[in-house]
Amino acid sequence: MTDAATTAPHDADGIGLVFDGHAIRARPGSSLLQAWIGAGLPLTENVGCMGQGACGACRVLVRREGERLAGTALACETLAAPGMQVAFLDHFPATRPHGYALRELTDSWTAVDRIDAVFPEARHCRHCGGCDRACPKGIEVQRMVNTAAAGQPFTAAALFDRCVMCNLCVAACPEHIDPAHLGQFVRRLGASLTLRPADLIARLREIEAGHQPIDPDAPGANPPATGAPPANPSPASPPPANPSWAPGDDPGAAAGRAVPPGRVP
Amino acid sequence: MSVGIPYPQALARWRAAAPAAAREGALPVPDLLRGFHPDHRPGAMERLAVGIGAGLDCPAALAALLQADSLLEDVDIAGAPILDADVLVIGGGGAGCVAALSAARAGARVTMATKLRLGDGNTVMAEGGIQAAVGADDSLQHHFEDTLRAGHFAADKALVAALVGDGPAAIRWLIQEGMSFDLAEEAGHAGRPMGGLLLRKKPGGATRARLLSYRDFTGLEMMRALREATLLQPGITILERHPALELLSDDRGRCAGAVLHDLALGRPVLARAGATVLATGGAGRLHIAGFPTSNHYGATADGLVLAYRLGAALREVDSFQFHPTGIAWPTHLAGTLVSEAARASGATLVNGLGERFIPELAPRDVVAAAMLREIAEGRGVARDGAVGLFLDTPGLERERPGILRHGLVTLTHLAHRGGFDPAEEPFLVRPTLHYQNGGVAIDPAGRTGVPGLLAAGEVTGGLHGRNRLMGNALLELVAFGRRAGAAAAGAARDERPRNVGLTHLADWRRALAAQGLPLSRKAPMVFPPYGNFDIAAARGRAA
Repeated sequence: MTDAATTAPHDADGIGLVFDGHAIRARPGSSLLQAWIGAGLPLTENVGCMGQGACGACRVLVRREGERLAGTALACETLAAPGMQVAFLDHFPATRPHGYALRELTDSWTAVDRIDAVFPEARHCRHCGGCDRACPKGIEVQRMVNTAAAGQPFTAAALFDRCVMCNLCVAACPEHIDPAHLGQFVRRLGASLTLRPADLIARLREIEAGHQPIDPDAPGANPPATGAPPANPSPASPPPANPSWAPGDDPGAAAGRAVPPGRVP
Repeated sequence: MSVGIPYPQALARWRAAAPAAAREGALPVPDLLRGFHPDHRPGAMERLAVGIGAGLDCPAALAALLQADSLLEDVDIAGAPILDADVLVIGGGGAGCVAALSAARAGARVTMATKLRLGDGNTVMAEGGIQAAVGADDSLQHHFEDTLRAGHFAADKALVAALVGDGPAAIRWLIQEGMSFDLAEEAGHAGRPMGGLLLRKKPGGATRARLLSYRDFTGLEMMRALREATLLQPGITILERHPALELLSDDRGRCAGAVLHDLALGRPVLARAGATVLATGGAGRLHIAGFPTSNHYGATADGLVLAYRLGAALREVDSFQFHPTGIAWPTHLAGTLVSEAARASGATLVNGLGERFIPELAPRDVVAAAMLREIAEGRGVARDGAVGLFLDTPGLERERPGILRHGLVTLTHLAHRGGFDPAEEPFLVRPTLHYQNGGVAIDPAGRTGVPGLLAAGEVTGGLHGRNRLMGNALLELVAFGRRAGAAAAGAARDERPRNVGLTHLADWRRALAAQGLPLSRKAPMVFPPYGNFDIAAARGRAA
């Protein structure tokens, strides 16, 4: 960032900030992502879900006015503030050296050995806390790394519950541990090795034995004979026949509500 | 948009009325839908004049794209670098990842092209869950009938049978890829992974508890596993920031891959393939009828445009799902979804006069239409230029103390991001464009009518009829991603395209001209207009 960044204008009509070297003004209440497009700047990357905070694509480095250090954040979740200096953190390439074939990890007695084999750097954690500071979701990344390295993959997996795959911890780690991918490794290991729901297995056995036929001509698979909804209603005859609501009805109560057509009462 | 009742006044009415009573004057449902559902507004639809779907209705914003000209001429692809693969997968969300994995495991060399980053799509945003009939009280037949009925019996029965029949195996497959699912409590204890039962919830419109979930971020959990699996799978080459601008055809009308656009270098790449799987998702970013959307940034109907121009049939493209509770205010969160769990737990909808106006758990299309009626007739709540209705979370908290903190965690987090306390202040919500019910017509193997072109996920039509059941979208992408991926690997072995190019465009341009349609309008859109990057104008520059 340039020196001009430190003198971003404070404007009565908007919030002055500097974003990737552009001095821009944002409407109060804008997220950083909205401030970017509101300033007419092209958005072709560093964006995904655009507001839900679920995809981890819009990573930014943010220095707030009066602070010495910059921190990391998601641009869709962070509101623009006066004097902010912001820069997108590019997209990290998807190539990575920590390869494994989950479907070949079938021996649960040796599963813990695989953590060491696939992520040997995890034992070299120097406890700098860089990954913890980088995480926009407040995950205890370093503790996850240490717990996994200590051979407790399920405890480690639980710590990574809220990960949104932004990979900021990967960028922050000086030992190339790739915490985000280690976190996914222990999570996937746990599910694939231990999750065996009885109801699912029973249903799969029924299907394989031919005991779950589907009858396309069953009464419930066709529009009811009377008051039938047309199969392909035109705009002139919209999908019909949900009962209207008599004022005062409790919507949860059965009284006063007809049963929608075809619905099992 | 019509004006509403100013927020302070509406808030005072809501406070005075609590708990709100229902207002008089409810409309019969057919009138409500006809009068106020966006699909049925006069002038909302335009009839297609060109292409295999001539005569079909679809929203004007979509018709403009479907009947536009290609961004490319032959000269644009002359000398472009060429990538050859057995299977090309276009789209990097859930369906794309599943299709790529399935094709690669069937022995195909796969190129996967995605406009944004691998995993950035609607899948990762899904909160509720995935349907699969695993309960002892449930059956494939129940799931089959529920899906057909919710879709107003407009769905293709063969596709629905494939969907529900694959459900349990899809869950096993996801577990094998490392996805976790919530387990039912057993006698007050957490469920056991080995031999326990899956936690099942009842989705709106279903007759059995069939919704499987991982907390309230099922899509994120799914996408994390799929993304790692795809990154690690040998035989898949991933091209991020490579939107598809046109499908390639051969001299027999077979799909032969696609022209991708390398955004980083600002130049085209020819991705030739024996079979191509479209997994490009939906169209929320067209903001049909001016609505905000819960969709991700890239949902611009690119796949529909490409498939249609090459001659693939579409169906139910006049049917969209509007989710009742999108954020109306604060505007920086506009369109973001407030999960249906809020209403399912008992939160009511209240207008600017402090009145309830619809049973909150009626079908989504009915609730959305009723909300739009309130807004249109001036009973909405106006705040900072946005008009919406109250979702009464403080009332819910009063009824069920603690529910906001313990039961509706994501909702509470969302309110805090909006800068208010949902226990004190109601959400301001209005319907948000959520899902494209129709799309490219496919068969149960995921094949479109164009040889060599397959499709999976939200881009397809026929599975949901005219209304999608909650939880069937995540199932669809797994079930049909697997089917399309496997079929594509097979198709790529059968026959290879020859004399590959843009031969289909000559006929297309003739047809546009014959109907008096302009050749100046270009599609696909690639990014929404407010993204400040016009693919037609800025294509030659690195972005």
